[in-house]
Amino acid sequence: MAQLLEYIKMALANIKANKGRSILTMLGIIIGISSVITIMAVGDGFEKEMNDQLNSMAGGQLYVYAGDEASNNEDYMNNDDMDAVESEIAGVTGTSPDYADYGTVLTPKGSFDLVLRGGGTAQQEVSALEMVGGRFYNQSDISTGNRVCVIKKNDAIKAFGTDDVLGMNLEVTLYNITIDLTIIGVSQDKNSDSMLFGYNTDRISLEMPYTTFESFGWETTDSIYGFYITTDGTLPSKEVADNTLKLLRDRHHAQTEDYYLLQDFNDQLATVNNTMGMITGFISLVAGISLLVGGIGVMNIMLVSVTERTREIGIRKSLGAKTGSIMLQFLAESAIIACIGGLIGVALGLLMAHGICSLPMLGFAPGVKVSTILLATLFSSGIGIFFGIYPARKAAKLSPIEALRRN
Amino acid sequence: MEKLIEIRDMCKIYNPGENEVRALDHVNLDVYEGELVAIIGHSGSGKSTLMNMLGCLDVPTIGQYCLHGMDVSSLSDNDLSEIRNLEIGFIFQGFNLISNLTAMGNVELPLIYRGVGKAERTRLAYEALCMVGLEKRLDHKPSEMSGGQQQRVAIARAIAARPPVILADEPTGNLDSSSTKEIMGILRQLHSEGRTVIIITHDDDIAEQAKRIIRIMDGKIVEDIINENYQENYLEQKESGKDA
Ligand SMILES: Nc1ncnc2c1ncn2[C@@H]1O[C@H](COP(=O)(O)OP(=O)(O)OP(=O)(O)O)[C@@H](O)[C@H]1O
Ligand SMILES: [Mg+2]
Repeated sequence: MAQLLEYIKMALANIKANKGRSILTMLGIIIGISSVITIMAVGDGFEKEMNDQLNSMAGGQLYVYAGDEASNNEDYMNNDDMDAVESEIAGVTGTSPDYADYGTVLTPKGSFDLVLRGGGTAQQEVSALEMVGGRFYNQSDISTGNRVCVIKKNDAIKAFGTDDVLGMNLEVTLYNITIDLTIIGVSQDKNSDSMLFGYNTDRISLEMPYTTFESFGWETTDSIYGFYITTDGTLPSKEVADNTLKLLRDRHHAQTEDYYLLQDFNDQLATVNNTMGMITGFISLVAGISLLVGGIGVMNIMLVSVTERTREIGIRKSLGAKTGSIMLQFLAESAIIACIGGLIGVALGLLMAHGICSLPMLGFAPGVKVSTILLATLFSSGIGIFFGIYPARKAAKLSPIEALRRN
Repeated sequence: MEKLIEIRDMCKIYNPGENEVRALDHVNLDVYEGELVAIIGHSGSGKSTLMNMLGCLDVPTIGQYCLHGMDVSSLSDNDLSEIRNLEIGFIFQGFNLISNLTAMGNVELPLIYRGVGKAERTRLAYEALCMVGLEKRLDHKPSEMSGGQQQRVAIARAIAARPPVILADEPTGNLDSSSTKEIMGILRQLHSEGRTVIIITHDDDIAEQAKRIIRIMDGKIVEDIINENYQENYLEQKESGKDA
């Protein structure tokens, strides 16, 4: 084993002696590995970003809505349907119609455009909010249509200059009706780094019970086109979905299967992940082919090197080098070339991934896994060894006298 | 003294069939430990071929070769490598140094393949290079040295691992007379230290300095004599003779 170190030293000395050629040989590996790393890092980063996005959107997990036939019949759902789903279907933790409309709000700091969202028991999860003060509206606020609201922390600062706003009133105008809403909670986004929806605007957005829209004259409880359902995750979402649809059909005496329809965000998540997987897989295949070409480049150069150094091999053998010693020396050389190429490739790949991911229209962090880097490095050394075997064997098998005779 | 080399009926035939060359033709030869032998013959007479056989670099077409009483014709490649490493120090016709290694690196080679550790290896290689007077050229590559210096590196490489047998093929082939004298001095010193030294040459003056002279012609041994003129201190004698 101590011998191995000697062979590695010999290999390094030889790589150094043939710098230009060694670097050109590495190039194939560098290109292959760096493209694999770039693709993996960008792909993983994108996938993670998509998942975060979808997860935050999919807080409601299921969305049930009227199908074509129900729409044509104007047979929408109502708050009793929502209550029934919430109380009768196992695994359901809440529902929300997630209404929204635009109005204005008058604050101590002036008047702002307003996004007013009205939700049910599931809304906190649907909007992916976490409370930093006070509470979210609850079932009794919803059933009585209380004039309460939850404000985001940064909006509170916009409106009042402070986030200590519990109990304060906001003068909200919608459809030319102005009503005071009392702030009962301050919230913030769970995924604050959210790229598509986290943009900053001059608007203020408020969350209130959907029934509170009735104070503005909007009849909200009767014709609900669709609503979100959150689940506790104990049952497969497919089962919850089927039970929900069946209950709604029964309640509306519907004949057709697609009277009401259901969108499962978990499915969508899976689809996106699948597609991403396929794209990464395909590009990785192309990168893999370039790695193969790089490997053949290593083999080619090693063959040239063996031919050039036939005499050296002859000398070494005549001085007592065994087949294994020569073999190891050449294998070490190809493995080191490929491994250095791999390391440079990893570095370059990470750089490129950072470059791509920080492009203005993307702007997410590349997903870099230690395992990917380790694997890439191991793999490139493996390529060096694999494609080095044939030339190394050729060198090792030379008869010393034949080898010495050649120039 | 023990018998070191025993060659029986050895033939080496190149290109058997048409165009065949009998480089060695039924050679019989015994060499004992501690001998100083010169093998002399014209160019193309088969000297190098014989040395390759003696050095286990090549195998005979027919015949038997025993080294230390062991028949080497049946050994595997790796066993032969080991024998070359442990038993034999080669000085090749044409130095056969590795061009991108320094003098030190070249001399260390047989020691590396013997598995000698770094410190011991450096010590032995340095000693060998000192012995041939190259202690000032340790870090020079072959291309940065004169022919005589390269030949001395080759000698240092052959003796560094202290093998019992030294095989020198035209060790003074393309050297001037003073380098020749130095190198012959080293070889004779090695012999006086108890090693078996076999020198191959086409030069009668060189052969004269050996104890035993074997003449080879067309692959056959035609003469095998004890050198009556041999003197332990040949060189000094010759010097003083000149002066007188
Ligand atoms: N590989 C080979 N193939 C064919 N013939 C060869 C080969 N090697 C040597 N010979 C022939 O064998 C004969 C002996 O060659 P060898 O090299 O032993 O001569 P030598 O005595 O060392 O000559 P020199 O003094 O010129 O070195 C020569 O006639 C040569 O042509
Ligand atoms: Mg010769």
